[in-house]
Amino acid sequence: MNVSKDLIAASAIPFILAILKQEDSYGYAIIKKVKELTEDELVWSEGMLYPVLHRLEEKNFIESYWQGSEKGRQRKYYRIKEEGLTELDMQKKQWDIVHSALSKTWLNLINKKEEFQYV
Amino acid sequence: MFDLISNIRTWSDLLRAKGDLSEPDIIELENHLKDEIDDLVTIGLSTEEAFLISVKRMGNVHAISKEYSKVSTENLWKHLMINPDGALDSGQNRKYIAMVIIFSLISGTLFKLPELFGLNLLDSENGVLFFKNISFFILPFVAAFFLIKHQSTWKIPAVIGGIFALAWVLINLYPTYSPNDTEFLTALHLPLFLWLITGIAYMGMDWKATKGRMNFIRFTGESVIYGTLIFCGIIVLAMFIQAMFFAIQINASWFIQNYLIVYGSSSAAMITIYLVETKKSVVENFAPILAKIFSPLFLLVMLVFLGVMIGSSKSPFIERDYLIAFDFMLALVLGLVIYVISARNPHEKNTVFDYINLALILTALIIDGIALSAIVFRLSAYGLTPNKVAALGENLVLLVNLGGLAWLYIRFFLKKFDFKKIEVFQTSYIYVYALWFGMVAFLLPIFFAFQ
Repeated sequence: MNVSKDLIAASAIPFILAILKQEDSYGYAIIKKVKELTEDELVWSEGMLYPVLHRLEEKNFIESYWQGSEKGRQRKYYRIKEEGLTELDMQKKQWDIVHSALSKTWLNLINKKEEFQYV
Repeated sequence: MFDLISNIRTWSDLLRAKGDLSEPDIIELENHLKDEIDDLVTIGLSTEEAFLISVKRMGNVHAISKEYSKVSTENLWKHLMINPDGALDSGQNRKYIAMVIIFSLISGTLFKLPELFGLNLLDSENGVLFFKNISFFILPFVAAFFLIKHQSTWKIPAVIGGIFALAWVLINLYPTYSPNDTEFLTALHLPLFLWLITGIAYMGMDWKATKGRMNFIRFTGESVIYGTLIFCGIIVLAMFIQAMFFAIQINASWFIQNYLIVYGSSSAAMITIYLVETKKSVVENFAPILAKIFSPLFLLVMLVFLGVMIGSSKSPFIERDYLIAFDFMLALVLGLVIYVISARNPHEKNTVFDYINLALILTALIIDGIALSAIVFRLSAYGLTPNKVAALGENLVLLVNLGGLAWLYIRFFLKKFDFKKIEVFQTSYIYVYALWFGMVAFLLPIFFAFQ
């Protein structure tokens, strides 16, 4: 199933921050990680990751540094900053609110269906 | 055989051409693409398949660069033009506009200053004096505009200011004797020389690099076009004023001649510089479009001319005036060729305009070769005059430039090297022009005892 574009865009920042919280990483690895986590359900336009990274860097949530890889390719690594961690916590709370609220409504729907069947 | 490296380069050049990404951004994206291709190849895809899939996954190049343009602070002024509110840089922009207004006023007033001492520069008898000095009324302010904008250190301003001051003192100290040929030549070449010096202010430390000098060439072309348009606007305004006041029996020409044209020209110059500088890479450059429209037409005319000349076996080039006409032809061909080159992606394959360029150059070289052989013979019979030396020298400088370009173009078509090399040659050749203009302006008068 394809997740809608709006939802992908909204979830991009918490995804990136959460992945960077675990360890410093670079663009391609972040994309791979997201694919792994979502079992390929979330299809990103991969180039779009980088402007988002830029924006996060500008907002002072993350910082970057260059490092050579084993293949001799210069990679731009990103590291999460204190402000980024705070932002991640906030995002997490917001998503939790949405998630729990949605779960409740869906639970209600199921219950109603069951009631209906009993009647 | 699928050439992965050149395909990746073509892809990244597409991004580069959009102008919103910095070089590190492009390297980052390129490495992403390479990583992805490597992974896909290890699971058994061919490089071509891997490349296609990776590019597809990366997403639309246009959309990516658009996203970048939203974040990159360097390009904020673009939004300044597109949406005036919500821009951080509007204070900065206001500062530039203030600079344009102040500099135009100072520059116009400088024009008027000699009048206080009874010297009207616009009198026809002061024509040469006026033309000799005209660059000093405008170009220092253009240079100052860029130096302030780039917040350059004291070094470059000191060098540019020094050259300007020295040039001004020299040419006004030079005596002049009838028939004033050398003075006229100085007046003609000095603005060109000083424009190249002003270029250093535009380029900053980039003047040493091909890219910086190429940008200056582009900037020059756009400035000429914008300047001409704005100046046409001023002339329309002048004619309008004249006609309106004439209707109520008032002659407004004193105002037009003494104020409108003076202040109009100086502000036209400053506005042009400001506009061309701020519009760069938002709007497509116009000079290359003009060059592309006219280069086939010029080629056609020159081929017909060559055919008729050979067919009728006429050789009309025996006077100096004709030599100047051929100098113009060479300069024009060079302009067409340069501006086609300036808009060309160096990694692209040969385009039809490359062949037109080469054909143009070769035709120009043949015509000029025939002309020169006729003229040089005639000229040498009458001895050297400043005008002959200048016209011949000009011809030679242009000839070497075009000859070099033709040679490099042929080698490029034979796949001996990248297109980059043509750019490097052409941008380095600017030094030769600077040297030549400087020599005509400052040394030629001495050689011919200021006659």
